[in-house]
Amino acid sequence: MQTLQKLGRMPIGLTVPALTILLVVFGLPIVLLFLTSVNAPALSLSNYQAFLRQPANVRVLFQTIQVSVVATAICLIIGYPMAYLITAASKRVRMVLLVLVIIPYLTSLLVRTYAWIVILGDSGLINNLLLSTGLISSPLSLIYSRMAVYIGMVHIMLPVMILPLVSVMMGIDKSLVAAARSMGAPPFAAFWRVFLPLSLPGLRSGLLLVFVFCLGFYITPAALGGLRDAMLSTLIAAQVASSFNMAQTAASAFILLGIAAVMLSVLGLDLADTKTHGTRLARKSWRSGLPSFRALTRDLNELASPYRAKRWTAKLYQAGGSSGLWTTLGTLFVLLVMLYLLFPSVVVIIMSFSGGEFLEFPPSTLSLKWYSSFFGDPSWTGAAWMSIQIGVAVAVLSTIVGTLAAYGLNRTFPRLRSFLTLIILAPITFPSIVVGIAAYFGLLNLGLIGTKTGIILTHSIGAIAYVVVIVSATLANFDRRLEQAAKSMRAGPLQTFRRVTLPLIRPGVMGGALFAFIHSFDEVVKTSLVSGFSVRTLPLKMWENIRNQIDPTIAAVASLLILLPLLWLLVLYVTGWRPRPRAQNVLPDAVS
Amino acid sequence: MLEKSLIQATQIEFHRVTKMYGPVAAVRDLSLTVHRGEFLTILGPSGSGKTTTLMLLAGFEAPTKGDILIAGKSVAAVPSYRRDQGIVFQSYALFPHLTVRRNLEFPLEMRGIKATERTARVDRILERVHLSDFCDRMPSQLSGGQQQRVALARALIADPPVLLLDEPLGALDRNLREQMQVEIKSLHKDFGITTVCVTHDQEEALTLSDRIVVMREGRIEQTDTPEALYDRPANRFVASFLGEANILENLGFDRELVATQPPGTFAMIRPERICVFPADKTKRADAGQRQSVTGTVDDMIYAGPLRKYRVRVGNSLLMVREHVASGQDIFRPGDEVRLEWLSSDIRFVAA
Repeated sequence: MQTLQKLGRMPIGLTVPALTILLVVFGLPIVLLFLTSVNAPALSLSNYQAFLRQPANVRVLFQTIQVSVVATAICLIIGYPMAYLITAASKRVRMVLLVLVIIPYLTSLLVRTYAWIVILGDSGLINNLLLSTGLISSPLSLIYSRMAVYIGMVHIMLPVMILPLVSVMMGIDKSLVAAARSMGAPPFAAFWRVFLPLSLPGLRSGLLLVFVFCLGFYITPAALGGLRDAMLSTLIAAQVASSFNMAQTAASAFILLGIAAVMLSVLGLDLADTKTHGTRLARKSWRSGLPSFRALTRDLNELASPYRAKRWTAKLYQAGGSSGLWTTLGTLFVLLVMLYLLFPSVVVIIMSFSGGEFLEFPPSTLSLKWYSSFFGDPSWTGAAWMSIQIGVAVAVLSTIVGTLAAYGLNRTFPRLRSFLTLIILAPITFPSIVVGIAAYFGLLNLGLIGTKTGIILTHSIGAIAYVVVIVSATLANFDRRLEQAAKSMRAGPLQTFRRVTLPLIRPGVMGGALFAFIHSFDEVVKTSLVSGFSVRTLPLKMWENIRNQIDPTIAAVASLLILLPLLWLLVLYVTGWRPRPRAQNVLPDAVS
Repeated sequence: MLEKSLIQATQIEFHRVTKMYGPVAAVRDLSLTVHRGEFLTILGPSGSGKTTTLMLLAGFEAPTKGDILIAGKSVAAVPSYRRDQGIVFQSYALFPHLTVRRNLEFPLEMRGIKATERTARVDRILERVHLSDFCDRMPSQLSGGQQQRVALARALIADPPVLLLDEPLGALDRNLREQMQVEIKSLHKDFGITTVCVTHDQEEALTLSDRIVVMREGRIEQTDTPEALYDRPANRFVASFLGEANILENLGFDRELVATQPPGTFAMIRPERICVFPADKTKRADAGQRQSVTGTVDDMIYAGPLRKYRVRVGNSLLMVREHVASGQDIFRPGDEVRLEWLSSDIRFVAA
């Protein structure tokens, strides 16, 4: 009774719009899908057995896990030292390096995948160079191999590993390492015994995010891998395209989801903080799983790392003195990783100016013909315009709905909050092919397949999750006494929100809106499932081009998209990065 | 204080208020009256329910049972933003995105006061708190003491009938705190505003208040003027929470004392009421009203104007506080001393 009373007073109602959209587009269909997969109401595992009976399927299953483990391991091996070196750099160098890591993170996944096709292809950059120098006589088969898959996946996932690591490492008090050294620990021991354990939370966030993304990865393996490198997502997509045996497809989707869930709970066990470990063991109720839910929510917060980059500037970090050799090696390493992260985009931009009939590197003549081909072709400009419209609609809808939900969640008691947050975040924790299939059935019931509204709703469930993550992080730092103060001065609830809360959380809201737009603007997998054949977004058109014929126009499109992250960083800078005015420079009132 | 006691109109009344958080009672069956124009301080250790009491009064929490009346009307159904109170929060809660001027204008805007008058009133109050030159600063550009004064000004600017202070001086260093105590006192006098203050700092409570409410575990232990509270504490908790208290038990020295002690009480004496002499000095002439014991100095602390002795008497330790004066005997640890006090300085307090 008392709980009910409490519930009535809480603004939990603000989460209703978000939960309604989620339930209709994704929640109910995925439940129905699950029931279909077990042949409800008869309830049998025949579909799962059928899946596992085919050796090819089992091979894909293990391959998916294997590829994900290897890709995650490579990310770790490159990412950890990279994050350490970024953290140890001087303040200015660190800012530059961070921006250079964030740019690829914000760059379209399709564009980055396309860049590797251009570089690794049979008549791509590397083969052309080697052929023209006479080192080889026939092209090496670099692309459509496991190696190409790893190169592409690691390239895409590396920022996801580095950013949470840097954010945690920046928070480590450097004097702790100094203290360890003063107690006689040699540099490596000081690192191993003090720094590494303290960086474990970031390590875990990075591993978890990278691994879960890899499991559900579709685009990059499909574009760069050979026929034998299929991932589970590819298999499911093929099933959808060919047979559309719903029960079979549903079973495959739930097997993928199941692996992700198992891996999440294994990795989700708090390797890092032993503090919560004891308390969790002490609790014996059904809620015992919740702490790891909370850990998951915390890890997902790292998705918002670039947005939170502004906080990093506040913390000064002095690099310890080190010998010349190590400095040289470190610098070399950083340069190589940066080359790996940024070179592909540079190649695409340069090639987009080729004057010949085919793309070549370096271009023999320069022209803008591929750009004029882009702007002159209504099918390209139409797709771009469609994507912009959808992106803006998604950003507006999910920012409003997501901010309301985050505000409601913030004012709810913790147990309900972590449960609801977990539900709202499902669309970005589940593999996107699974979300896409669920959304397909959800929209089918509503008659929205192949409509703009349908695509906007599908994108919004993911975008709302990003907004909730980012706005919640901002609200967590918001001092609620400011609201009480406003109310004590006769400001009503609405006025309090408009005059005090909103201005103070605005950076988070803007960051959320930006991520919502990016999420929509770059989305292929779910869109391809729900778009029917009538709506063509830019990513869909690009994906089509990447898969079928390589129309060189795509280089121009990709180059234009590469410039977008610079725009996003500018937006982040303008909305979130503004330093609070200090005593010396009194800025005019920002809110008048 | 005299003129106030003549008016004695009731401004705030707590009527048997209980506040539960789940199974835990933060405030139990609390009844309390605050007179118009009075400065009332709620004093207690952390977890005593004093902040909850303030939050109930402010309207940020609703009582589980009982009623709160302001100016004779129940405010149970009145949300915080219609209660017309000025509040100074513990961390000041100045809006970080607004200048000092805009912060001060906020309560006036919410009351629909016109821009020209707002400016005039802000100018007036800024002058009153000596911050006229700071009106275009952001709160983060002010020192702690300046922020405190802005917070006070913001709470007072709309002339609310009630002012609530939540640990108002907790964040300030010692010098600043004394300065602000004077400032708050003079503002209270000028505005004649009914003020309820919450603190755990006994010195702050004694200096500022007309009356003090001592709370423990959600209940009121005693309500009285600072002097009465210090001089005649109702029980052992109040005695030792407000100042230092020597509990005289098992000293086995005075039958006369034991005879007059009501059953179930403790005999208590304040450290500054005890005089300390060399052990070989004879008793004073009026020995009849005095009681004395001998003991050994355990420790001596020199604290500027005071010298504090800890004296072992039998199994107990007694605290003695002596004002430093010229020609005084100074005792060192190990010295034998005689302690004397007037039997009229002994208080019997409940357990």
